[in-house]
Amino acid sequence: MSDPIARLLIAALGLYAAVGGVVAAWFLVRGSRRMDAGVRTASVWFKLLIAPGLAALWPWVVARAGSKATQDDSHDA
Amino acid sequence: MSVGYVAIQWSRHKRIYDAAAAVGAVLFVGAWVITGKLMWRGEHALSDEVLILRGLGSCAIVLLHVILAIGPLARLDRRFLPVLYNRRHLGVMTFLIGLAHAALAVGYYHGFGVVSPLVSLLTSNTNVASLREFPFEWLGVGALAILFLMAATSHDFWLRNLGARAWKRLHMLVYIAYGLLVGHVALGAVQTDRGGAYVWAVGVGMVVLTALHVAAAWREAPIDAGRASATPNEAWLDVGSIDEIPMDRARLVAAAGGERIAVFRHKDGFSAVTNVCAHQGGPLGEGKVIDGCITCPWHGWQYKPGDGCSPPPFTEKIATYQVRVIGGRVQVDPKANPAGTPVTPATPMGGEGGHA
Repeated sequence: MSDPIARLLIAALGLYAAVGGVVAAWFLVRGSRRMDAGVRTASVWFKLLIAPGLAALWPWVVARAGSKATQDDSHDA
Repeated sequence: MSVGYVAIQWSRHKRIYDAAAAVGAVLFVGAWVITGKLMWRGEHALSDEVLILRGLGSCAIVLLHVILAIGPLARLDRRFLPVLYNRRHLGVMTFLIGLAHAALAVGYYHGFGVVSPLVSLLTSNTNVASLREFPFEWLGVGALAILFLMAATSHDFWLRNLGARAWKRLHMLVYIAYGLLVGHVALGAVQTDRGGAYVWAVGVGMVVLTALHVAAAWREAPIDAGRASATPNEAWLDVGSIDEIPMDRARLVAAAGGERIAVFRHKDGFSAVTNVCAHQGGPLGEGKVIDGCITCPWHGWQYKPGDGCSPPPFTEKIATYQVRVIGGRVQVDPKANPAGTPVTPATPMGGEGGHA
């Protein structure tokens, strides 16, 4: 692997992880209300345990939150 | 089971299990370092860092072998079921040990140059066209990424939100991680001229794991053969004579094109439920009745034999089946009832068990 490609790959991974960190923090503070109410009342330790997975699978978290929001809107209509 | 999330569902059994695994890992790495110091002396002596990082790496792959062996071993011999019970914690431990190995290796081999350690890791060996010289570090990185994903999604939160099927598929990636690690160890040994011992060790490990999986599949072949011979319209399936089902245990039978059915003997009656646990798809038929409940051998989820419902306050339900006893033989109707449907246990005197 050439040096520029390696640097690009590492930067991309860093960006992915940074976005994942933001999404994970959002989910644990607010987003879990929509997706899984059980998270809201859970302990801080539990939230710390699932945070790495939320950051790693953040596209899934965003898609899931979006679909839940759409469902909620259609129910409200 | 599902009444709110907790960080880790500790129990006395799990604490002992985890403590034993942690002590075992520390002893393994310690023994590795001491043996290394005794074996390689003088000009062949290895630094403490190299001995520790190789000990950690070896410990991780040994643990992975144990994890992959537990499943088929428990199917071949019920005495291994207690080891299966807490396998997820073992998986997280394997990732953490692998991470420590990777951090030490990157720091030791790539951390003292002018180039960033991660860039150095990816660019120091570019012989991708050569099988023998292929950058074995990349294989380790790939395996570690998979182990991370599995450890990060090991909590029941993920099982519930991803769904059992997707979660199971995700965690089957462990076999890809294993393959990558075998390549990582074998190529690493070849490229650093550490002799054939490592290659032989992983080779023996692969053979043992393959043999265990084949043996477990061979043992279950009669059940699948029964499924293949049954016709879709067959009304009742023969499970066996009443004496062939041990008290508080189950015998498995397979419906045509359907899933396996676990027929349990409890007290004076026989009850049938799906063999698939609602938690992670564990084999309920390999569990036993504890405190009046069918108990999954994987993680201890429980269901009442009479209706397939978890005891309060839990709310899980699994499918039940009609059972009857005719002429001393237990038979089950392969048509599944909706999950949680009460069915009166069949008795030798009372014949067929109907909806309660």
